[in-house]
Parts: sequence; C-alpha cells; structure tokens
Amino acid sequence: MSENRFNTATGLPAIDASGVPDHVAEADIRESAARERREKLRMFLTNWQGMTGLILVILFFASALLAPWIAPYDPNALDIPARLSGPTLDHIAGTDQLGRDTLSRILYGGRVALKIAALGVSIALVVGVFLGMLAGFGPRWLDSLLLLLFDTVRAFPTIVLALATVALTGPSLGMVLAIVIITSIPQYARVARTATLSLRNTEFILAERAFGAGTARMLWHHIMPNVIGPLLILAAMEVPVVVTVEAGLSFLGLGVLPPTASWGTILNEGYLVIRDTPWMVIAGGIPLILTTLGFTFLGEALRDIFDPRMGKGR
Amino acid sequence: MGFYLLKRLGLAFAVICAVVLVLFSLLYLIPGDPATIALGPRASPEAIARYAERMHLDEPIWRQFLIFIGNALTGDLGVDVFSERSVTTIVGERLGFTLALVGLGMGWAMTLGIPLGCLAAVRPNSWLDRVTGVLSVSTIAVPSFLVSIWALLIFAVHLRWLPAIGAGEPGDVVDQLRHLILPAFAIGLSWVGYLARMVRASMLEVMGETYIRSARAFGLAPRRVVFGYALRVAILPTITLIGMGFGGLISSTVFAEIIFARPGIGKLIFDAVMARNFPIVQGGVLVATGLYILVVLISDLLIAWFDPRVRESL
Amino acid sequence: MAKDTGTGAGAGEILLDIRDLSLDFRTPRGRVKALRNVSFPVRKNRVIGIVGESGSGKSTILWSILGLLAKNAEVTGGEIRFEDRDLLHASEPQLRAVRGEEISVVFQDPMTSQIPVLTYARQMRDILYRRPNVSVAEKRRMAVEMLAKVGIPDPEKRIDQYPHHFSGGMRQRAGIAMALLTGPKLLLADEPTTALDVTMEAQIIHLLQDLQKELDATVVLVSHNLGLIAELCDDVVVMYAGEVVEAGEVREIFHSPQHPYTRALLECDPARIDDVSRKLPVIPGDIPDLTKPRAGCIFAPRCQRVQEICRTEKPPRVARSPVNMARCHLLAGPAHDPDWPPDPSVITVGRGVEADATTHKVPAEQTLLEVSDLNVQFETVGRISAWLKGLETRHVDAVLDVSLTVRPGETVGLVGESGSGKTTLGRSVLNLVAGQAGSVRFEGQEIRAMPEARFKPLRRDMAMMFQDPVGSLSPRKSVRALITEPFLIHGITGVDLDAEAERLADMVRLPKPFLSRYPHELSGGQARRVGVARALALNPKLIIADEPTAGLDVSVQGEILNLMADLQAEHGLGYLIITHNLPVVRHIADRLAIMYLGRIVEEGRTDAVFAHPVHPYTRALVEGVPQPDPDRRRVHVSISGEVPSLLNRPKGCDFAGRCPIAQDRCRAEKPAHVTMPDGRRHACHFPLT
Repeated sequence: MSENRFNTATGLPAIDASGVPDHVAEADIRESAARERREKLRMFLTNWQGMTGLILVILFFASALLAPWIAPYDPNALDIPARLSGPTLDHIAGTDQLGRDTLSRILYGGRVALKIAALGVSIALVVGVFLGMLAGFGPRWLDSLLLLLFDTVRAFPTIVLALATVALTGPSLGMVLAIVIITSIPQYARVARTATLSLRNTEFILAERAFGAGTARMLWHHIMPNVIGPLLILAAMEVPVVVTVEAGLSFLGLGVLPPTASWGTILNEGYLVIRDTPWMVIAGGIPLILTTLGFTFLGEALRDIFDPRMGKGR
Repeated sequence: MGFYLLKRLGLAFAVICAVVLVLFSLLYLIPGDPATIALGPRASPEAIARYAERMHLDEPIWRQFLIFIGNALTGDLGVDVFSERSVTTIVGERLGFTLALVGLGMGWAMTLGIPLGCLAAVRPNSWLDRVTGVLSVSTIAVPSFLVSIWALLIFAVHLRWLPAIGAGEPGDVVDQLRHLILPAFAIGLSWVGYLARMVRASMLEVMGETYIRSARAFGLAPRRVVFGYALRVAILPTITLIGMGFGGLISSTVFAEIIFARPGIGKLIFDAVMARNFPIVQGGVLVATGLYILVVLISDLLIAWFDPRVRESL
Repeated sequence: MAKDTGTGAGAGEILLDIRDLSLDFRTPRGRVKALRNVSFPVRKNRVIGIVGESGSGKSTILWSILGLLAKNAEVTGGEIRFEDRDLLHASEPQLRAVRGEEISVVFQDPMTSQIPVLTYARQMRDILYRRPNVSVAEKRRMAVEMLAKVGIPDPEKRIDQYPHHFSGGMRQRAGIAMALLTGPKLLLADEPTTALDVTMEAQIIHLLQDLQKELDATVVLVSHNLGLIAELCDDVVVMYAGEVVEAGEVREIFHSPQHPYTRALLECDPARIDDVSRKLPVIPGDIPDLTKPRAGCIFAPRCQRVQEICRTEKPPRVARSPVNMARCHLLAGPAHDPDWPPDPSVITVGRGVEADATTHKVPAEQTLLEVSDLNVQFETVGRISAWLKGLETRHVDAVLDVSLTVRPGETVGLVGESGSGKTTLGRSVLNLVAGQAGSVRFEGQEIRAMPEARFKPLRRDMAMMFQDPVGSLSPRKSVRALITEPFLIHGITGVDLDAEAERLADMVRLPKPFLSRYPHELSGGQARRVGVARALALNPKLIIADEPTAGLDVSVQGEILNLMADLQAEHGLGYLIITHNLPVVRHIADRLAIMYLGRIVEEGRTDAVFAHPVHPYTRALVEGVPQPDPDRRRVHVSISGEVPSLLNRPKGCDFAGRCPIAQDRCRAEKPAHVTMPDGRRHACHFPLT
C-alpha cells in the first residue's frame, strides 16, 4: 500500500501518474478516470470483509426499519406459559421472564440502536467537523481553548460520564443520545483539526489566500473536501461504538427504560436470569455483535480502498 | 526535558481543573435545588440540610466552586451521604481492586498484542497476518461488556471453572487471582486486537520509511532492522494510542466490575448512582478521570524518553 | 546479447557488470516496463555517472544492484555481475553480506535517510556489526576517524548526537562517513547533492572528489544534474525512459554526444548556454507511457530528427570504441546520416513556439513595486517558554532592511539559498506574511499591513506562483474550476467562465481536455501551466514566482520559462522571480538581487553581477554552480561552512564567518548598503573589484 511512495523513490515515472502524454484525447482521459472508478469498485467487490460488512449493515438497516412487519409477535405481548423458554418453533429466539418473544424484541430493539446511531453519529460528525476546522484554522487562542475542551471531555470515560449525569437526571433515551454526541464530538474534531492544521500551511491554501479567497471559501471549498473523506470512514467505524454505548447503558438500566425493547435491556433481563437460562444473553448479544462487526468490516474495507494512507492496516 | 515535562504537567493540571469544573457544574445545569438533585427526592430533609451546609450552598456559586476545587485538590472529596465517612477514604479502599484489574487486563493484552502486531507487520499478507487481522477486527468489534457476560455464562455459570462474583477472600492471593481472571480476560480481549492493529499499522508505516531502507542497504540483519530500528520508531505512535485508548479501557472496567460484582471504583460509582449518593459519584468519577489523565501523561513522558526530538522540543 | 556487452575488456578491470537488465513494476494501470535491456560495465577505480530525467529509471538500477527494489518490482531478465557473483540471483543472506560491506550507498535526502531516534555512534556501530572481533571502543574510534575525514568538526563529541542536531550539509557528510565506514569496494550515490544548497553542494562535490582520489574508490553516481556529472565522473551512461541511449567517457559524452537525446539534454541545460537570450531550448513532449508496448526508438516521439524507420525499428547499437556507444538510426544502417552529429554550435532542438527576440522591450521607467527597508520577523518561541527560559527576544529577523524595485515589463531575480528569506520576502509583499517595519508600495500605494478587505481588490493586480506545481493546486478541484476560481473570488460577473477557462488554457498551451482533470492527474509541467493560467486569469501587472522551475526536468523547465517570457512580452508583466537556480535566472532576469540570511547583499544588472560579482557571497554562488563541462572542473571550493541559523545572527556582516576575505571590521560592524556609480548596490565593507 505504500507503493506510491516507493515508486517515486525507485524512479518509476511519478510525473505521469496516469501516464498520459500532452497530446492525449479527451476520450482517453475519461476512460482512465472511469477505469480508476471501476478498479476501486472491483477492489471493494472482491474484498470479502467489505462485502460481509455491507451485507450485515444492510441486514441491520432492513431489520430495524421493517421490524413492525417482520416481527412475529408484538414486542410487549406476554405469553406467560412459555416464559423463559429456549428456542422453539413458536419462539425462534426464546422468551424472557414475562414470556415476551425475544426475536420480536430484538427486531424492535434494533430500531432504538438505529435511531441512536443515525442521530448520534450524524450530529456529532457535523459539530465535530465544524469545531475541528475552527480550531485548526482559527487563531491560536481559540485552538488552545477548544483543545482543552476536547481533552476535558475525552478525559471522561464514556460510561463514567454517563453514570455521573444519569445520577442526577435519571435515565432516558435523550440522555443516552446526548452522552453519545458529547463524547464522540472530540474524536471527529481532533481528526478534523489535525487535517486542517496540516492543510493550513500547504501551498494550495496559501495560493488561495494570495488570490484573495475568504476564510469561508477556503474552509468550505478547499479544506472540507480534503478533510471529510477520512472522517466519513471514521463515522462508519464509530457506529459500533455508539450502538455499544446505548446497549451498555441500557444494560446498566441507565438508558432505555423498560418496557421498551432494546438490545441492552434484553441483555440486562437475561443477565438477571443467567443462572436459569442462557438463551436471553446469547440472543441479545448476537445482533449487537453482528452490527458492530458489519460496520467495522465495512469501515475498514472503505478505508483500505479510499484512504490507504490512513490506516494501512486491516 | 525540563520544559517539556513542565508543559505536560501544566496541561494535565489544566484538564484536571476543567474536569472538576464540569463535575461541579453538573449539579447546577439541572434545574431545581442542588441538594435535592444530588441526593434524590427520597432523601430525608436532615440529609439535604446537612449536604447543603457541607457544600456551602448558601454561598455564591463562584465561592462554592473555589471551596470545592480547593477541597478536591487537597484530597477532600466530601463525605458519604449515608455513612458520613470521607469519600477519599472510601474511594481509596476500592482503588486497589480497580488498579489490579486494569493492570492485569492491560498486561496480558500488551504481552500478546504487541508481538502479534510486529509479526504481522514483518510478513504482510502471510497467513499469520491475515489471521491476526481478522481476529483483531473481530475482538475489537465485540463489546467488552458482552464478553464479560458471555465469559460469565460460559466459564462461571456453565463450566463452573472460575468464580462468578466478588473479588475473593481478603488475604487469599490465589482466590483473589482466580476472581481476577475472568474480568481481566474480558477487558483485555478487545485490547489485544486494538494493540495488534496499531502496532502493525505503525510498523508498516515505518517499514516504508527511507531510513529503514538505508539500514537495509547497509546490510543490517533483518532482526536488527525490525526490532532495533523500526519498532523503536513505531512504538511511539503506539504509546500515544495506548494512552488515548485508556478511557475505553476504564469504561470496560466499569462494566466488568458491575457484571462480576467486583468492589472497584466502577462498582462503587454505579452503586452510588443507584442509591443517589452524589458525593461518592463525584469522588469516584474524579478518580477515574484522574487515572486516565495520569496514563496520558505517562505515555507522553514515555514518548519523550524514546524520542530525542520530542525530548528537546519546547 | 550478453556477450557483446562485456566490451570493457582492455579498458580496465570491470568491478560490476550490468547485462541486459529488464524490470517491470506491477501497478494498477498495468505493467510499467521501467527498465529494458540495460547494459553497462562499471570499471574499477572510476566514477561512473548515470544521468537522466525523472522517470528514466536511473535510481531503479541502483536499487536493483542492492536487491532492495520495491515489492511491486519484478526483474524480468538480465544479470548484475559483481566480481564473480550474480547479484540478481543471489540469496538474501548473500546479498546482505554484500550490502554495506562491499557495496555501500550515499542517499539522496540526508533528512529522511537517517533514523532520527538513534545517535550516530549507535548507527555507525550497527553498520560494523559483522566484525565481532573488533571491540566496541575500536568501532567507535573508527567511526570518529571517518567523521573527521569527511570534515565534521569535533567528531568525538558530535558522534553522540542525533541526526536532528546536524544541519543538512553535515548530515550528508555523516551519511558519506557511514557509507565509507566499512571500506566498500563499490560506492553508490543516489543524487547525493540534490537536497542541498549551492554552496553546500560545491563542498560535498569537493569532498567526494577528494575521497575518491584518496581511497581509489569505484563509484556509481546517479543524478539529473549535468554539472555534478561533469565535475565528478569518468564515465557516463545516459538513460531515457528505461533504456540506455548512450554511454561513454565523460569528455566524449559532453563534447561530442552522438544520440539526439544526449545532445538535446545538453543543449537544454541553462548552465551550458552562453548567449543570454530570453528563450531557452526545449525538448517538446513528455516521457512516453511505459505501460504500452512501443516499437522502434523510445525517443522517436520527441526527436527532432525522427524518421520513418525510427518509429518501427529498434535503433542499432553503434560503438565508437570499447567504452563508447549510442543507439540511434542516424549513426548506422539505412538511415545513417554522415552529417550527424552537427557542429556543437548548431542548436538541434527547438526554442518554443514563437521565437522572438525582438519584442524584448526596455523596461518602463515608472516602478510597479517598490519595497524599502522591509523587515519581517518570525516568532520563534511562545510567550511562556520565553519567560521560562529568560529569553529577551522572541523573534528572529527573517527579512532585514530589504529594498527592491520591480518595473513593468521587467524581470527581477531574487536569489538565495534556503533560509535566506527570499520566499518570506515574496510572501510578505502579498501580505501573506506580516511585515513589521518598512514600506511596500504597489503603483505608489502603501500596501504593507493594509487590511485584507482593502487589499483584496489589489490582489487582482498581483499574482503569485508557488513552488510546488502540483501542491499549489487545490487537490479536489478540476483544472477548469481552478482556472476560473479567481473570477469567483473577486465576484466578476458577466464573463462566460467556460469560455474564459478555454481562453486561459489556450494561452498557456494546455490542451483543452485537461480542463476536466484533477491536479494529481497532471505532470509537473502541466500543473505548472495551470498555475500560470491561474496567475494570469485576472490580467495582473505583477507576478511573484517562487521557484517556477522547481521539480521540473531540464527539458520541461525551458517550456515554462519561454511561456512566461512570451506572456511578459505580450502583457508587459513585471516578474519577481524567487529562485536558488542561478543558471536559470541568468537567462531570464534583467536584474538580480542576492539575499543572504534575510539581507540583500548585492543587487544589479544580471550580466554585470555574473561578470563581476562585488560581494564575496555572490562570487561564491556564481562559482559554486557545477559546470556541465568536464574540462572546467574546479580545483578548490571558494566558500566553506554553512549558513548560520537565524537564531544567532552574527553581530557584524552576516557572511563574515564564511567569507574568505573577512577582516576584523566585518565581524564587528554590519555593512550598510552602498550604491556604486553604475547603479549596483551592495552591502560589503571590502567589495571585490
């Protein structure tokens, strides 16, 4: 993956990165751009991790969105005779202590996870990128101030901050969302800031200044497009973290409140009856793992293909 | 080195102060009487009055803050609402359990993860590399609290190999160690993958550097190039990432302590949240956060130790 | 094939023999045939130079000798014989035994090729690791001795320092010491002076010459710099696009080149052109795409003397003597031309599209840009650190008392080494860097420290071209968007942006299809054209060009400079050209200003400055440029030492510490600027006459 750099060092014609001489026809250029796109697509399609990830992610979205139609039971319908049953034909994933169908609860629980992930990641991304670019491009004092702010927020381990807040406010979904957003903003902001700082003194930004471009133009047209790629990939990799935080807090009884179904509450209820039946903690854990694996695989594959410098790893 | 140390210490101090500020102001961000919020609606009027007096709630807010931060910096974190014992003492009693768990969890993760990352980087695309890659992504993707629950289910409930809850008999080292194994395994597992990936990525990055090629051009033995040269540089970003990822490790520890009913700081905070004992929450959170800040500070100093350029920078 | 290349017999013992080496790089675009049937011998105790432009594959040869090619490289044939071994087919342990001990390397960039976290003592001890019976103390003694030999002062102390404690020139000396530590039979040098300044380059060349003589070493030197090759080499191999087009002894190559490419390359080198016309010769076209198979001569598409046969048939190998050979249809076979090569005075390559010497007009008398006594300071330490350390001043003078004028239609060259403040000066004129004192006037209007809101309209009249042709273009914008952006920035409406883009592309001779490409898809020369088009979009009056030829090959830089000259003649532009490249600036500048450590030490008409430098530093610069003529090798270096750090600017003349004629007064008192009767200005207590 370090081929590009190596090539220049070994004297491979680096100047004609696409190898086209001056007198080339327009069709050739279009063709080479299209070839590059095809090549990237092919790389993605042949990357088994990426494909696995994509399928899992689609599955996650589909099951959450379609839960009301595909769930076999109402998530809160009680089937007392069949309580705490293992997998049966009636209840494929078993039932809980009140006889509610675990599969249905998992499908509905996915909706909570999706909601938190979608809102949490997108809001944190937007705010984080904005603050990060501000810190990287603004005056020194603002940078220092924002850095101190980021460092302070990061100093609180997510769960610890959640515990401290919930101790005062009591548990709620809104609180979970707020915690998720606040703790993940510094992540995006730091990446955006570092990238902005390194771009800030590049010649092309200097060139824009020399042409008289204003700050807004430089940030929006010239810095943002170069910063956003890695951040989108980071966002994909953050989805598992967010889903995990929601499940974790709900597991501790600090997130979604019963009777609402969430993967965390299923695990919590399962944990309480773990000595009676293993099925609830198994069934509650599997969708969580599949979702986090899916987004991680997808994010990794995208990063390897589109941003080989960022991770280089698997 | 002196200036670098001074600067880092100053920064850590600033973050600690900011953390204290956040902890202090949490009470005031929520509308209502601070004492009632801190102790919950069910607290007795006497307890509320005692708390109000102790926290100097009749003073102006800025004075309250100065008193609070002054007390915190001198080690006075207030008193337990119920037992009237000093929070510092209570937190101190529990800290050892947390440190033992964190130390063991991180220790086994580092002894396995770092060499694995090195080996994978030395032979990119070998079977070892591929297996390491998939395993690390998978272990990172599985939430640590789920590992805790499943480990509890499999090894304690089902197989009955290891004890499920508590920290073991005081004074019985073997029993205490047996109680440590499962939680340490749970919090360390994802770190094995995390470390292996980080080491691999930064090793690969460094292996592409010109000076590594120079070392090879001078005919140095591969082992010397990898461990004497590449690892020497690649360890630097890894140390930073270990420091930064430590927050996540604390979150895992909190979960592990709650799930395995281990009397550490995390369990302490959780119980205090449930019992509406805000002084304990404040004290516990401050210590957990301080632990993170300390680790980041140590990692910065380690880098200065390893890298002469950082050591001499301002 | 392998047989007839071993022709070195009788011409000295052959240490290394490269035979028929072919090599591909596997890339996403296909296989790049980077080397094709490369053969040449390396004779013992001689210096052989491999010369070529970027993409010629010259460095690849070096790395294949060591067996340290990139992972995507694949050797498809040939052998590399070193003494009695074939290095191409040697096992890794065998190769490792050769590397460092028998064949050693001096690297291009000393800044990145030495590990930053180990001391030199450690690095050099590691190189000697294969000598178990030499004690650690003895190894250290050997290393110290070698450091002393390459001219590092106080080596006993400095050996315990890290690379970042060394300046660029010192690092390269240390790099040479490391390479020579084991006493290798063969020394490879990959562009050893490219990363260095002119005065440093001269010193390193001198050092290499001395060491080569002293050690009787065999050296393979890879460079694009014809001057370096002429100064150092005994034999020369000329590479083009992965093939050896000509090889021979250095005088033969430089005085009677046989191949049209060698000839063109030499003619394009500004340092060899004596007549100071404003047009530079160029080789039109670009290096061919090496992924595509090509029949005939590789140089045919760009050759001025191309014939039908050149496109279809491989040129014959024509040997004049056992060591001299060239591959060209002009030299033998059916297309043989007895009149080729023509007399050296005949120029065989073109000089750009419009060859006009007549439009070169006399600069107008009014001034466009007038800088007087400008000071630019940089903050070096933060307030708190300065307070902690008890420093009195937190600033250094990057630009000190600089006065300069540019008139319409005039080209002023601002020359200096890195750290001379020339780039800072250029940027502060455009208010990209704040100046602290003095004045900058543009058409009589004071513009220093003017608020951006008021300055913005003036930016239409003053444009800047930045050093890195590709890096100064916003990477996610198409060429069309880049060229038309100035119109958007300045809110110019009522123009058809597409038409403007095409007009500007035409103006800089950039083919229209390129408008839809992105910067990373452009070659250096193409990107430079986009930069010129952007600068010209709003019809400025002044262009500040920072190293306009940096990163461009000799054959391409002529095209850019010719283009700039044409545009100047057409629009009456004033140019301020910031460069370290004296040979280039000599051809394009009307006046020169030489900067040293932030001050202008000499200023005057270009021809006068070159003919009779007044300041000793100017003389050192002029003499420091290696001449691409093996008969004009220098015997001594007129300047020693390195540019001092801005942090400890000398009390007296900034140059006093390195000046060969410095006296006590120079060390005590800063020389003021003096205007001589002929209009030249200098800052020297004892000007040369």
